Amino acid sequence: MAVKKDYKDQKLVEKLQDRNYYVSDSNPEFIKEVERLGRTAAHMCYQCGTCTGSCPSAPRSSYRIRLFMRKAILGLEEEVLTDPDLWLCTTCYSCTDRCPRNLAPTDAIMAMRNLAFKRDIVPRNFLKTVQAIYKTGHGVPNNDANRAARKKLGLDEEPETTHKYPEYLPGLRKIIDHYKMKEKADRILAEGE
Amino acid sequence: MAEVKKNEEPRIGVFVCHCGTNIAGSIDVKAVMEYAQTLPNVAIADDYQYMCSTPGQNKIAEAIAEHNLTGVVVAACSPRLHEPTFRNATAEGGLNPFRFEMANIREQNSWVHMHQPEEATSKAKDAVRIAVAKASLLEDLIPKSVPVEKAAMVVGGGVGGMQAALDLANAGIKTYLVEKNPTIGGRMSQLDKTFPTLDCSQCILTPKMVDVYRHEGIELLTYTEVEAVEGYIGNFDVTLRKKARGVLTPAEAEARGIVGGGCTGCGDCEAVCPVIKPNPFELGMAPRKAVYIYHPQVSPLIYTVDFDACVKCGLCVEACGEKKAIDLDAEDELITVKVGTAILATGYDIFPIEKKFEWGYKNYDNVITSLEFERLICASGPTGGHLVRPSDGETPKKVAFVLCAGSRDNTGVGKPYCSRFCCMYSLKHAHQIIEKIPGAVPYIFYMDIRSFGKMYEEFYYRIQDEGAKFIRGRVANITEDPVTKNLHVNAEDTLLGRPLDMEVDMVVLAAAVEPSAETEKTRRLFGLSCSQDGWLLEAHPKLNPCGTTTAGVYLAGVCQGPKDIPDTVAQAEGAASAASIPIHKGEVELEPYFAQCIEEKCAGCGLCVNLCPYGALALVEKDGRKVMQVTEAKCKGCGTCGGFCPGGAIWMQHFATPQIVAQIDAFLLGGEQ
Repeated sequence: MAVKKDYKDQKLVEKLQDRNYYVSDSNPEFIKEVERLGRTAAHMCYQCGTCTGSCPSAPRSSYRIRLFMRKAILGLEEEVLTDPDLWLCTTCYSCTDRCPRNLAPTDAIMAMRNLAFKRDIVPRNFLKTVQAIYKTGHGVPNNDANRAARKKLGLDEEPETTHKYPEYLPGLRKIIDHYKMKEKADRILAEGE
Repeated sequence: MAEVKKNEEPRIGVFVCHCGTNIAGSIDVKAVMEYAQTLPNVAIADDYQYMCSTPGQNKIAEAIAEHNLTGVVVAACSPRLHEPTFRNATAEGGLNPFRFEMANIREQNSWVHMHQPEEATSKAKDAVRIAVAKASLLEDLIPKSVPVEKAAMVVGGGVGGMQAALDLANAGIKTYLVEKNPTIGGRMSQLDKTFPTLDCSQCILTPKMVDVYRHEGIELLTYTEVEAVEGYIGNFDVTLRKKARGVLTPAEAEARGIVGGGCTGCGDCEAVCPVIKPNPFELGMAPRKAVYIYHPQVSPLIYTVDFDACVKCGLCVEACGEKKAIDLDAEDELITVKVGTAILATGYDIFPIEKKFEWGYKNYDNVITSLEFERLICASGPTGGHLVRPSDGETPKKVAFVLCAGSRDNTGVGKPYCSRFCCMYSLKHAHQIIEKIPGAVPYIFYMDIRSFGKMYEEFYYRIQDEGAKFIRGRVANITEDPVTKNLHVNAEDTLLGRPLDMEVDMVVLAAAVEPSAETEKTRRLFGLSCSQDGWLLEAHPKLNPCGTTTAGVYLAGVCQGPKDIPDTVAQAEGAASAASIPIHKGEVELEPYFAQCIEEKCAGCGLCVNLCPYGALALVEKDGRKVMQVTEAKCKGCGTCGGFCPGGAIWMQHFATPQIVAQIDAFLLGGEQ
């Protein structure tokens, strides 16, 4: 709880305000929501750093999964959901493999991303990926360079996916539509134009 | 049997305890007391703040006299806690102590129904009613005394077992010290120095080893394992397997008529033996022969033939010459000893840390365990105390220590507990490389430094001052440079919030500990319980840390849970003290919950005899017919026979059928009969 400082000058009050307390503006329900969606006991994290030490993203970015776990436990919902680093996880699951507390930090991150997405906080490239999947069934669709490489290796130009069997695309779209992901992606992208 | 005071008209006194607010916080104690007054056979009911206090106990004694009570009921905590207290109070008042019955309204009621006061009060009334029903039918019982054999056994010859054996023997008790290895000394003899004093481990241990070997009161049985245990406190018959050693001690040689013969530890046999095996004492980092001793300071100094490796070429027999100490046809020998009490000190093994494959132990040459580090830094070790990299024999300059390697790990591969001494020995290791290798820097990767003991925090201060680097972060993984065999340690410096990839010359894993391989077998032989991670279970974690649930069996050292040398020795002394009490007393009192045969009802079918898990029953000839007879000292009152007997001919004292039926009736009928 911030200490109330009784300066006469209002400007001085604002300038010298305690800003580094977090307990008062934290949301204790946030960790419960993360645990419910992520299906992992995230509050049991003991901050050993095995996750960040295992993370392929950490050495080349400012992404620190341990800090996200910490902030989630403290209920720093705003700080977590508005942090662009949240989207730097590659979901390789190395942290989940090695976590000595047997947690799934990756799934906690996924849960936090879901909560962010609910509030329309999501990077544009992720939304474009949604559109690409809706269109082709692939986040990274096949391209000419790939086709040439596959041919050279004696493979069919198109892989055994929706590329080769586009008749399965409607089923896939039904799932995406059910969660209104495409609709939402289109809307947010349009709003940002 | 003792004279039994028959229940004429039962007159029961009921005492309800408030236990401060422990009980009274959720149970209406007054209402329970007033309810008790309405129950049949209740002569007086009362309540008090703390029944276990002296005034509380006095209430019981006074009421017995005043109301001529035949039984006492106290509704309070668990009988495990205060049954002995209230039995004494009952006896104080002139009643037989087994006329007392306890109703648990705390652990099984107020503590679990904290937020349901009405239901809790109603449940407490039930408990009191049931207890009164039983108390009305209780009878006088006389505990049985059995003599105690004036001898003790210690299983495990590490520092804990040795200390326990020395204490027992010094107290005048004949002590058998059983050790599975050819020498005593245990893990401590493998260590180089001991924290926080930096004493040389062997220097402080070998005098004790010599004391044990020389002590007249100690019969040292090395290369011996426990095979079977029978009996009960005061009278354990323990069968031991003396494994074929293939080498005679001077005493054994003399017994065979070889004058002046037997092993002198000269080593001539070892010199000629052509078979080379890895020495387990050096963790396989040094060779030994098929006829061997672990190290020069072994006790007893008697060689051992490894019959799994020996090719029986006979060169050693020739080299031994006139001493005729070697017998290549030796076989295991079973002996039985009788002891009154036993102490288990079966120690620990290192968790197979290669299972945590992210750290590369057994995959990367220069990743070693801390026990291997101890041998490599020890002057009597395989390298003469020069710490070298296994890959190329070079001296490492930059060494990473990985703490909590497999400890505090809930993944299922690893141990959930703290292994308790790794922090401290890793600090010591850091000190040793700073001291021995000029310019060497230790990097300690830790989560928490647990320097909890006397002078331990000061030791931490000292090592930090000497230049050890501390990085707060658990090591995520280790990779090896295939050319240089250097290691890359990946972790997060959590205090900086920055991942790091540190290249080091050597990594030392402070591997978790687990119960030794023999612990489980020994535990079953002695009928002990273990906690979920396999450590032997003490009778009470705080108030009876040396005792077990088997009367007459005690615990010392790491077999009960990870602990360092000071704690191990302290517990060993505690266990020795506890184990000597029944022996010095000369007899033990057994709870008189024995099965009794009602001979007129017994058909002599003998079905119960085979059912008894303790071998306490037998069929005997009496007045021309067969009846069952109970060896009371062996009977644990489990009730298996009593529940089974088709003729209802077995009377379980203190848990007799009419008493149990009365309890059930009291519950089901709600007190109306």
